[in-house]
Amino acid sequence: MTTRSPVLELRGITKTFGTFTAVHGIDLTIAEGEFFTIVGPSGSGKTTMLRMLAGLESPSAGDILLRGQRVNDLPANKRPTCMVFQSLALFPHRTVGQNIEFPLKIRDVPAAERKARALQLMAQLRLPESYYGKNVTKCSGGERQRVALARALAYNPDILFFDEPLSAIDYKLRKTLEKELKDIHRETGKTFVYITHSLEEAMVMSDRIGVMRLGHMVQVGTPNEIYTAPNSKFVSEFIGDVNIMPVRLNGGRLVSDELGAEFLPPAVPTGFSNGHLVVRPESLRVLDRRDEAENVLTGTLYNEYALGSRIQYQVRVGERVFIAERLRQQALTGRLDTEVLVGWNARDSILVSD
Amino acid sequence: MSPAERAQRWRSALLWAWALAVVVFMYLPALSLLLASSTSSRYFIFPITKWGFDWWQKTFNSIEIHILFKTSVSIALIVTVIAVTIAFFGALAFARYEWKGRSIYQKIVLLPIFFPQSVLGLALLLWFNTIGLELSWKSAVFAHLVWIVPVVTLVISIQVYSFDPALEEAAYDLGASRWQVLKEVTLPVLFPGLFSGALFAFLLSWGNFPLSLFTTGADTTVPEYLYSKMVAGYTPGVPVLGTVSTMIAAVLFLGGYGIIVLRRRARS
Repeated sequence: MTTRSPVLELRGITKTFGTFTAVHGIDLTIAEGEFFTIVGPSGSGKTTMLRMLAGLESPSAGDILLRGQRVNDLPANKRPTCMVFQSLALFPHRTVGQNIEFPLKIRDVPAAERKARALQLMAQLRLPESYYGKNVTKCSGGERQRVALARALAYNPDILFFDEPLSAIDYKLRKTLEKELKDIHRETGKTFVYITHSLEEAMVMSDRIGVMRLGHMVQVGTPNEIYTAPNSKFVSEFIGDVNIMPVRLNGGRLVSDELGAEFLPPAVPTGFSNGHLVVRPESLRVLDRRDEAENVLTGTLYNEYALGSRIQYQVRVGERVFIAERLRQQALTGRLDTEVLVGWNARDSILVSD
Repeated sequence: MSPAERAQRWRSALLWAWALAVVVFMYLPALSLLLASSTSSRYFIFPITKWGFDWWQKTFNSIEIHILFKTSVSIALIVTVIAVTIAFFGALAFARYEWKGRSIYQKIVLLPIFFPQSVLGLALLLWFNTIGLELSWKSAVFAHLVWIVPVVTLVISIQVYSFDPALEEAAYDLGASRWQVLKEVTLPVLFPGLFSGALFAFLLSWGNFPLSLFTTGADTTVPEYLYSKMVAGYTPGVPVLGTVSTMIAAVLFLGGYGIIVLRRRARS
């Protein structure tokens, strides 16, 4: 990644709407051919960011550089970039073929050439050739996704932007399309910039992820870095089910005042005095014996959820709810409402500041 | 027969009777018009003693009537073109774009619809006189527009509300110029709304009496002629003209509706 040249550079990008600042001075470099995902909850400014990159909004301050050229004032229709919209924005009065050919028609490409290119893209995206003349409003959700992507590829952009196109798709199909999209990324070698509110989705597809919160880019890293080393409580919670508790450092041990317990800490960041301890469900195990883990808590088994290969247990320690896991083969039976031990090793936990 | 079945039967019988009553109530007057035109006598006598289509013949051959139609059609066509053009942009401002003062605009633009037309007609007459405009069918075009543009704006706005603004952005992002976006995306997607708007404009202008009465000057439209003949000098030519005028409106309306349905079907 580091050897690749930057295709997109943001320098102090800021966007204000009246008195509201949607994006606060973001610096970011995206490399040629990278799959970069911006993740954030709604209102985090991620859509505004993407719209500025696409040329549909102009930044209030800062510069956008495309291959070293400042493009702040270059309108969307002159930029070598293309966006797949959340609503997909397929033209309802046109067929699948006409939709895909739209950017070519705008460039006055001859009809025969247009059709050949459209059919080629349809084949690449696994759309049956018979769909060429089909009305686009008659296509299913997944087919419409593919048409939208084919249309964007027909423009032959250097960078493709995606504004949560999969958010309205049901879970199973979304999982398939995520993988397909990543395959298309490999096949085309183009730079993809994707935004989503689902870090899970980002993890599956991305080379790097940027997490946004309230207009700030709070962490940028590979999926592995984001997963194993979140730099704040916000990022760690964003990943999904996590066990998280306030702690303070006291003489090399972590103290939880709420639980009245002391824990062995993982590597302590310099200058850390108090913050939160994060333990992922797969690192928090329901134990048979106290000596199976370095840190142990006693709680009550309140409920269990079968996840397939693993089983999750809801364990209550005082007022606090913990989610622990076990492999299916080691499932506990008939233990609801009884006392259980949960524990983790220090190296499997993460310390974050607030 | 169970009580539930009997109740069900009664209910559907009542429904049918009600629907029939509504249809009769609405269409009997139009039918009476046809009846009244099918007489050979000079005056309107009921029951009709001498049936015949003499008055249809006379009406169709009358040069005066030809001029009437020409005037009415000219006004309606010009009103349609101007009204749809203005209302298209008006509807974009009404339903598409967020701008300061939009909510005031949305109310002001609809106000002329609620203004009594005869008062509006008189007001326009005074205004035209003040600015020294010579009254003719051309001045009636302006008068019609005052009332019809708001209606057509509303009709087109309904279509614009269901328009996804991302369509325009997508086309623009795919390299289209502003003009190409309008031509390739906005206009075709909004076409059903523009078409209904045009139908409304034509039909409302075609049937308008109060505004024409005050503003056509020496020219006469079909509704004006019908009114003056009923006030003085009735002949069975009046119901003939009334029937023809109604039929033209009906054919335009049903034909227009048919075109929209066919277009929709052709697409699927």
